[in-house]
Amino acid sequence: MTAILESLDPRVKRMGITAENLNAFPTPPENDQFATYQVIIEPKEGKGYESAGIVHAPDAEIAFLFGKEQYSRRFTCSGMAVAATADVLASPFTENKISVYDLLEYASLEENNSAGEFYEVFHLYKRGKQHSHWGRVKAVNPEQALYEAKEAYDHSKPVYNIWLIASDNIFFADENIKQIWDTLPLKTHRDVRDYKAQDKINAYKERIKSNL
Amino acid sequence: MNQLAIKELLYKIADDQLILGHRNSEWTGVGPTLEEDIAFSSMAQDKVGQSLAFYKLLHNMGENDPDTVAFMRNAEQFHNCQLVELPSGEYDFSLIRHFLFDFAESARFRRLSESSVKDIADVANKLKGEIKYHTMHANIWIKKLGNATDESIERLQSALNYAFPYALGIFEKSPFETDLIENGVFVGEAQLQEEWLEEVQNVINQTQLILPTVTDEEIKYGGRIGKHTNHLQPLLTEMSEVFKIDPTAEW
Amino acid sequence: MYGGGNSFEHLDLDRSLENEDPQLLAEFEARIARGEKIEPSDWMPALYRKQLIRMIEQHAHSEIIGALPEGTWITRAPGFKRKMALMAKVQDEVGHAQLLYAAAETLGKPREKMIEDLINGKSKYSNIFNYPAYTWADSTVISWLVDAGAIVNQLANSKGSYGPYCRALDRICAEEAFHLKYGHHSVIHLSTGSAKQREMVQAALNRWWTPLMHFFGPPDKMSTHTEILTRWKVKMSTNDENRQQFLDMYVPKIWDLGLTIPDPNLKKNETTEKWEYTEPDWEEFKRVINGDGPCNKERLAVRRRAEERGAWVRKAIMKPVEKPVTPLA
Ligand SMILES: [Fe+2]
Ligand SMILES: [Fe+2]
Repeated sequence: MTAILESLDPRVKRMGITAENLNAFPTPPENDQFATYQVIIEPKEGKGYESAGIVHAPDAEIAFLFGKEQYSRRFTCSGMAVAATADVLASPFTENKISVYDLLEYASLEENNSAGEFYEVFHLYKRGKQHSHWGRVKAVNPEQALYEAKEAYDHSKPVYNIWLIASDNIFFADENIKQIWDTLPLKTHRDVRDYKAQDKINAYKERIKSNL
Repeated sequence: MNQLAIKELLYKIADDQLILGHRNSEWTGVGPTLEEDIAFSSMAQDKVGQSLAFYKLLHNMGENDPDTVAFMRNAEQFHNCQLVELPSGEYDFSLIRHFLFDFAESARFRRLSESSVKDIADVANKLKGEIKYHTMHANIWIKKLGNATDESIERLQSALNYAFPYALGIFEKSPFETDLIENGVFVGEAQLQEEWLEEVQNVINQTQLILPTVTDEEIKYGGRIGKHTNHLQPLLTEMSEVFKIDPTAEW
Repeated sequence: MYGGGNSFEHLDLDRSLENEDPQLLAEFEARIARGEKIEPSDWMPALYRKQLIRMIEQHAHSEIIGALPEGTWITRAPGFKRKMALMAKVQDEVGHAQLLYAAAETLGKPREKMIEDLINGKSKYSNIFNYPAYTWADSTVISWLVDAGAIVNQLANSKGSYGPYCRALDRICAEEAFHLKYGHHSVIHLSTGSAKQREMVQAALNRWWTPLMHFFGPPDKMSTHTEILTRWKVKMSTNDENRQQFLDMYVPKIWDLGLTIPDPNLKKNETTEKWEYTEPDWEEFKRVINGDGPCNKERLAVRRRAEERGAWVRKAIMKPVEKPVTPLA
């Protein structure tokens, strides 16, 4: 088979590029769109969970596989959770020191604590930053969950946006798989500290000088 | 304890990892989805990193430094199984190979973590978590694609049929097998194969794939004693192209 | 409360500025003036959305295509240290594309559509990746200096007004620090190494200098200046500002290694404190942008082939989503 493309990249030569590839792309398939999952990471034990970004995945299991290498391949990581974007309930945004909670009218709270389900509550403390996990509340519906959160939150900082995720819809990494992050500190090849070479420059300059 | 036996064991582990990591890095930048590209690349890096850990152990035992060992030997001097040197092919084959190999590696590391040679046990222990992600990744993907579309099932099945005789070649016995077993260095290839087969079968059973039957004659042995397919030497030539411009230079 | 992100609806991107609601526009501009970020569900003018989609999308394309020139040397990197670093570096670039596509998606354009536009040649990406990496030294010069250029742009943009883009850039800039250090480390080793190595790296620098000068775009006097995009903190610095900053930071470092920059007129004017240089050939720049560079065809063909090879995988695991939603943040 003659290569259509004389690439400098031996990997590209092995890809089997065709004449069509060089000229046009065939019509893309219909419905090639995955759902997105929000990936939430705890960088270090006790530091708390923070939103990291999204991945495109067909389900939570694959979202977890993808999230792990996209959002926790450096430094340290002690935990991760994923939730379908569609399962995240978001409040409107506020700004200018006004907390979302300030806009929330009190309603009579249901006394019956045995009913309802758990919700994970995420707060945004600064526009432009990431949402962080504040805690969980039990409620019969999302509206009540917000009131419960308002009750329990100490309001030390204004909250500009709230995410609620029903605890059943968010998937945290089990304790027994957390060892997948054990070797992260060994991955020094991804770290700036592994690439110091000032002494090489100095030695080179010395060499040039002594040759003069 | 016979040092040669230990060296032979370490060489085959390290060579397997280096060659497979190298092969899998061919997907970096051109993977099937952006996220999978990233995940697969991480595992390729892990493999090369693991091989380095074992070449360092060998270096401590008096062998050449890792760069020289990895970049200056010819195909006949490599102890990797033939499975890892095969061309990457399409993603079906790369994924099946990753599945078959990483389950074997995970079983090997589990056993090596009990080794009487402390240095080996330490490295094996240290890398366990990393390999857990690899088997998790393989497990999930094989189950998804092995139950998805006709095309994906058919692709995986033919990749499996092709790869399986090579995969059994992973467990080619060492000339020092008894020595290693008796001294508690390693449980031995036969036992390892049994444990591996059980796990692989268990995953395959949850899919619409069938594990092919392979006769003893069909198993692709030879890699461990330097007999390779003609895919290995071109791989090595490519890998060392720059290094060999000046092997004494620092790159 | 609303579930998930916004749906990918038909966006009216052509609504003109005069037709925007004046009160909403005033609130929007006041928010930016206060230094607060715009988040996806905030009201925004159509022009803002349109410009950001275009800009972030092109940036994402540049990352995924940018993985290719250096990818050329992944299987040939000399020695363990370089082999692992280059794999990780190129991987990061793919990761950057992923992050940036996600940021652009929050504005309403699906990633699949963006990739489609890329491989059909409808969208642009950074011109510099249409040049070939002939030798290992080229890949080291790219890692160091092309990434250095990218960092200048990215750092400026990370101070912009759109929240999701800023967050992506914060993450990206942190990783770029590794690329820069790795690239510099590799160039240092070649420059201070054997005669052959020095020759390789000097030749690579000669090849990459013009594309590097092109990298920041045409001189300000040649490009259309949009005051409104500056006020909205979409455009954070001008081409010449970025180019000057790059020269300021890296020319001394290049000279420090005893390398020669192939421009006899390059010098810093001590009075104006500005770098003076020979204008690179802007006709060449235009030619390459319009598809006639040494590698334009290959880059797109590789991307197309990659999409094609991955199609069965995506199809097999695809679960049709009833109503896809944009990422939340
Ligand atoms: Fe990048
Ligand atoms: Fe970079």
